[in-house]
Amino acid sequence: MRDHAPAILFLLPFVTAISLPMVGLKRREWCRPMALVAVSAMGPVALANLMVVLNHGEIRYAFSGWAAPIGIEWVADGLASVVMVVVSFLALLALIHAGPTSPQTLGQRIVPYYTLILLLISALTGIVFAGDLFNVFVFLEVAALSGYALVGVAGGKALVSAFRYLILGTLGASLYLLGVGYFYAATGTLNMADLALRVPALVTSKAIVGGLIFMFLGLAIKMALMPLHGWLPDAYTHAPEAVSPLLASLVTKVALIAWVRIMFGVVGPDTEIEHVPVLILLEELGAIAAVVGALLALTQHELKRMFAYGGISHIGLILVGVGLGNPTGFAGGLFYLINDAVMQAALFFLAGAVVYQYGARTIDELGCLRGQAPWMTGALIVMAMSMVGFPPTGGFFGKWYIILGAIEAHHYFAVAAVILSTILTLAYFVKLFERIFRDRPVSSVMSPVEAPLSLKVSVGAVSATIILLGVWSDPIVGFLLKTAVPTGW
Amino acid sequence: MLELIEAWLHRPNFIAFVILFLWGFYIMVTHHNFVKKLIGMYIVQTSVIFFLVAISAKTGATVPILLSGTVPVHAETYANPLPHVLTLTAIVVQVATLGVSLALVAAIYRKYGSLDEDEILKRLE
Repeated sequence: MRDHAPAILFLLPFVTAISLPMVGLKRREWCRPMALVAVSAMGPVALANLMVVLNHGEIRYAFSGWAAPIGIEWVADGLASVVMVVVSFLALLALIHAGPTSPQTLGQRIVPYYTLILLLISALTGIVFAGDLFNVFVFLEVAALSGYALVGVAGGKALVSAFRYLILGTLGASLYLLGVGYFYAATGTLNMADLALRVPALVTSKAIVGGLIFMFLGLAIKMALMPLHGWLPDAYTHAPEAVSPLLASLVTKVALIAWVRIMFGVVGPDTEIEHVPVLILLEELGAIAAVVGALLALTQHELKRMFAYGGISHIGLILVGVGLGNPTGFAGGLFYLINDAVMQAALFFLAGAVVYQYGARTIDELGCLRGQAPWMTGALIVMAMSMVGFPPTGGFFGKWYIILGAIEAHHYFAVAAVILSTILTLAYFVKLFERIFRDRPVSSVMSPVEAPLSLKVSVGAVSATIILLGVWSDPIVGFLLKTAVPTGW
Repeated sequence: MLELIEAWLHRPNFIAFVILFLWGFYIMVTHHNFVKKLIGMYIVQTSVIFFLVAISAKTGATVPILLSGTVPVHAETYANPLPHVLTLTAIVVQVATLGVSLALVAAIYRKYGSLDEDEILKRLE
């Protein structure tokens, strides 16, 4: 029974998702409670799964009893289990937050809306656990399709952003599938563990090199790595306030997890293409994304767009961490990934709450927070401290381990990039706080309303989590060092 | 160089794949009409599916169904079913993507009365 946790985690949101349209025919108001129950049940199961993995080692779940490589296999290793806890926790908070901030014009469409959210969550579970390259593709597409529909659900400007997201996302998926085809043609298998045995001998073949490049390009579009990020800012800015946190915190990060699994689990971290180590390329792409993303965030006026560019810069930081090629940097990068998921959720929860209460979308309108919303401002200060990287928060420890790893590897370019992106992050938060504390307070666009409990809970819980991640950084990084680091280091 | 071209000519299906992929990509990038972009996207997806079929083609093979359990199995006489299953799944994904994208395009047309990217971007400002 205890080994079935991965399948249960997937089936909880999935079965609810497909039963919602039937229930919703008669009882539209049941949708939200049903979704909440299903997703809140995921939390304990994810924790139980983590405990099992901690005590008994990784779970390899073979569907219908067909063992890999013939059957489809899911792998719940240390990394997947930790990320799953984060996914189920943030998904629950995002659903709580979605109550008041969902678009008011949905009407009958509230049923497919919750179905799509649950499908997105179940697809994320699938990507995290999948032990098979093709499975990753299918779940990436399920997540992406629900993502496109959710971005466009409110209509208006969001439709065009959703269309652009769809075009680029589908191009990414096609490139990824092409890479999978190359790998299959070269090795005759799709199972990651099986591939890991066969790929190292073939790593000089053009098919493997080409496949790796195509898969990277595809996943780079999905994770919005710097030059391929074009779809992200528009999509996250115009998406409904209830949807952006879910997309921003989880979708890009989970695509990055898929890449980490392919790079470190299948191909091996020491791979070189024509004497160029692949990891160095990753690290430098990440460094560029970290600096340029933060620089672009500095130039934005819309709150959500600024946070979206902040997320792009953090994807770069995570890649710097995992690309350093030593355990410290790798564990630091993954710890930063967990932090970044929480921070992005926090920032977009806050942006959603500000829109809901004050109707403020640009940073010039943020002056209305002053004196009126001390708790929200306090939460924003905690988030900013973590984004910039001040000690008691999780963001500091993530960057700390990344920098330690970079010094250990003597990659001072990476150290400089992390520090530069930190300074730029500080700059755009200073710009934000200047509007709140120093400028003349502006009257809010609409008369402020009392914040509903669900907004307070979601914003408060993520802010507390940011601090807790900092307090518990040592055991979490220790756990990642013990279980997630690829063998051979 | 001549050898390379000769090697290409021995694999016309892969040349067809490359042409289709680049053609679709070119349409996606250069056309301003949303439906034409979708057509380009569809060609790209189809070309990848064509590639999956092309790598698994096998002459003289039969369907992978065992007629009796006693006769020894010669794996080389059967077609590999896995790429076909992958192709089917990829087609399902493609159809779903096309459905969502057409719904989006229809919603855009109802809202802006146009499918031209430049015109819509002008109206967005």
